[in-house]
Amino acid sequence: MEARGAARLRAERRRTRLALAPALGVLTLLFGGALAGAARTSFVPLGGHATLDAWRAMFDDPAFGDSVRFTLQVTVLSTLSSCALALVVALAVRRRSLAVRAFLSLPVPVPHLLVALTAVLWLAPGGLADRALGGLPLTLVRDDLGLGVVLVYVYKETPFLVLLLLAAMGEALATREEAAAVLGAGPAQRLRWVVWPAVRTPLVVGAIVVAAFVLGAFEVPLTVGPSYPPTLAEFALQATQGDLLAGEGVAAATLLLTAAASTALAVLAVRLAKDVSGG
Amino acid sequence: MAESRLQRALGALLAAAFALPLVVLVVRAFADQWRAPALLPQVWGLRGVELAFSGEAAAAFGTSMLVAVVTTALALVLGWPAARVLGERRLRRPAFAFLLLAMPLLVPPYATGAGLTEWFLRLDLTDTIAGLVLAHLVAVLPYVVVVLLSAFGPQVTALEEMARANGLAPLQRWRWVTLPAVRPTLAAAAFLGFLVSWSQYGSSLAVGGGRPMLPVVMLPFVRSDPQVAASLALLFLVPAVAALALTARAARSPL
Amino acid sequence: MSGHALEIDAITVSPGGSPVLRGLSLRVAAGTRMALVGPSGAGKTTLLRAIAGLAPLDDGAVRLGDRSLRSVAPHRRGVAVVFQEPRLLPHLDVQENVALALRAAGVRRAERRAQARERLDEVGLGGFAARRTQGLSGGEQQRVALARALCGDPDLLLLDEPLAALDPNRREELRRLIVRLQRERELTTVVVTHDRAEAAELGQRLALLLEGRIVQHGTPSELFERPVSAAVARFFGVANLLRGEVRGGLLDVRGAQIEVPGPDGRATLAIRPEHARVDDACALRGIVGEAVYAGTHVKLVVDCDGQRLELHVPPAGAPSAGQEVGVELPRERLWRLPDDDEVAVS
Repeated sequence: MEARGAARLRAERRRTRLALAPALGVLTLLFGGALAGAARTSFVPLGGHATLDAWRAMFDDPAFGDSVRFTLQVTVLSTLSSCALALVVALAVRRRSLAVRAFLSLPVPVPHLLVALTAVLWLAPGGLADRALGGLPLTLVRDDLGLGVVLVYVYKETPFLVLLLLAAMGEALATREEAAAVLGAGPAQRLRWVVWPAVRTPLVVGAIVVAAFVLGAFEVPLTVGPSYPPTLAEFALQATQGDLLAGEGVAAATLLLTAAASTALAVLAVRLAKDVSGG
Repeated sequence: MAESRLQRALGALLAAAFALPLVVLVVRAFADQWRAPALLPQVWGLRGVELAFSGEAAAAFGTSMLVAVVTTALALVLGWPAARVLGERRLRRPAFAFLLLAMPLLVPPYATGAGLTEWFLRLDLTDTIAGLVLAHLVAVLPYVVVVLLSAFGPQVTALEEMARANGLAPLQRWRWVTLPAVRPTLAAAAFLGFLVSWSQYGSSLAVGGGRPMLPVVMLPFVRSDPQVAASLALLFLVPAVAALALTARAARSPL
Repeated sequence: MSGHALEIDAITVSPGGSPVLRGLSLRVAAGTRMALVGPSGAGKTTLLRAIAGLAPLDDGAVRLGDRSLRSVAPHRRGVAVVFQEPRLLPHLDVQENVALALRAAGVRRAERRAQARERLDEVGLGGFAARRTQGLSGGEQQRVALARALCGDPDLLLLDEPLAALDPNRREELRRLIVRLQRERELTTVVVTHDRAEAAELGQRLALLLEGRIVQHGTPSELFERPVSAAVARFFGVANLLRGEVRGGLLDVRGAQIEVPGPDGRATLAIRPEHARVDDACALRGIVGEAVYAGTHVKLVVDCDGQRLELHVPPAGAPSAGQEVGVELPRERLWRLPDDDEVAVS
């Protein structure tokens, strides 16, 4: 009899795996295939033998070093500013009306490219801000520091992060805050002991998503970024546009490196978040 | 009181700061002449819209739409059973599944697109709708699964059980109980999936160079002709807004 | 209509892989109400789910009338279930919720709505047909769930803690309603509850489930007054268990000789707190350790030289804590447990 129960349990587990199979199978095949394909492109030029030429060419390119520095700078600045601003905004609007929140989340469904275009129309020399103010104090579009890129990302990602944070600041948090207040915790203490632990995990998750996106996307730097240095994604794109055969290999190597970097970043962030919660 | 009014004003101001800049897209799209230093266009007109539609944009719009719809539908069908299993916490160790779902969000779409091209070249899938759908699926499927899984859980299971015990056959249960119960989340997942595919730039460029998608067509115009770019941007926004409206309706109205 | 008897024959059910019910058998006569009672975790809900087909049988058989339900899918069993929570469908109005089973059977809209409204009248929600379910109170929702269960004209009605989520007044109303509707239809009914008083009021017969086994079944008064074991006695609130050797029809309780029924030899005797009396003429004496006013009576805990006795006495003239009293254990109220072995656990 017990054997029958165990057999039923095994069958149930088989059904569970079967239910996961379509989604995870397709992802494994496509995603694994993509990584394998990129690796193959970077190591084996079409019809040739395996070489490290593409990787060597990438590291030898003087633009590569600048590109790494520039990409990291933009990624770190965008992610940290978005997170900080999102925390402030979420705390400011968490008891506000639905209308305020809806307005605030308007940029979430707007594609990055459109946000970049909006930034150009407002902030470029001769743009709306320039006209309204009669001159701009600093260049924000196609500037060497990539501030325009950072600004676009902050504008686009902050509402996304605010939504994540507001979801974590639901009713359960309000009751816990009440409990803490009754026990004598002041506003700052409640923020530190009740609100922060509740929003930390969604914030870290959101930060990972933002950082990974900034690291790998290139429609924004192509639109509002400087022509030099390129971000890593732009660097890869430029490689394919130059020497067609060797370029593909360099591009693939660069993209693999970017993928590895964002994965490492994610692992690091998760670790860091765990350490904070442990301490 | 004063403080709460201040806070309210601050909240409204913040919301406006994020929402209002987008209005410039509409103005720019219909401004045939808008010379500095004027704050409003001198001549309104449809030059941008006409130019936008005369090029490959119309075809690109169709391709983007087709790919987004097919990809989303496919992702919902493939993702439903997985979302259900994950949402009901039926896996003892779900870490691996979630890791696999998170990976495509971490790796740049241009990288997956470029990697897939290596195989698509051999399979004759480059520049085809099927190739684009497969490339987009890598990005869309994780989003769809992660959103959809929040629909499932003890509440839905309890309703299904009630239906089972009170005479509803499997198909009736799905149609009358499960589907209405998960409908708002299903709509949200579909909307997000559509949006991710619709605004996908990296992987579209990598696998579909010969079959331009709307974002790929639009980008060069940002420098060369902002009015055309803004017109294309509106064209770009229309389905996104429509999808949002449809989602909101689907989430609210009863069957 | 005449009901169908429910027969459960040696079923083993293991919902999480390990058996919760082992070889359990139970018979519910056609057209009667059986209340299944037991502490939480005893397997009551599992048994109900097994009957409904929601938990698969590892072994054994379930029959309803002359049909075996063993390999019948839940929705074809002719069984209706009222769960502890109402489980109403939020996207349908009240009448469509009630008519769910009819809709499943393909009954046309006008017809099924008419029937649903009749059921709603019966549960006292006549004007609620077109309402949404969200605004209803807990008691109203549970009555909608009851109407829904009856609407499919089931052969067997299963109720899982139907009163648990309600306040005392609503509970009483719904209890009466359940009993009335069951009686009118002569519907075979199994109702699960953890509350012994509720079980006695809901069931014509009771079955006590402890750790996956039916340890006793019978009429409510049998279970309350003539428990078969110490465990049953404890569950039904028979707080006083006296153990010892019976000699010449007398049991020695701390020096006092008490008249008991039955033959000489080792025995365990049980008496309910409300059947023991304070009588200072009695030889069995003790000190009142606790006297708690409980509305309709006073609960006394009396310590008779180490033997603890509980008494429920009328509030008027009840002794107070610290007082010495005599305790009378009337012979006709003393019940001798049939199987003595289990008492050792006490």
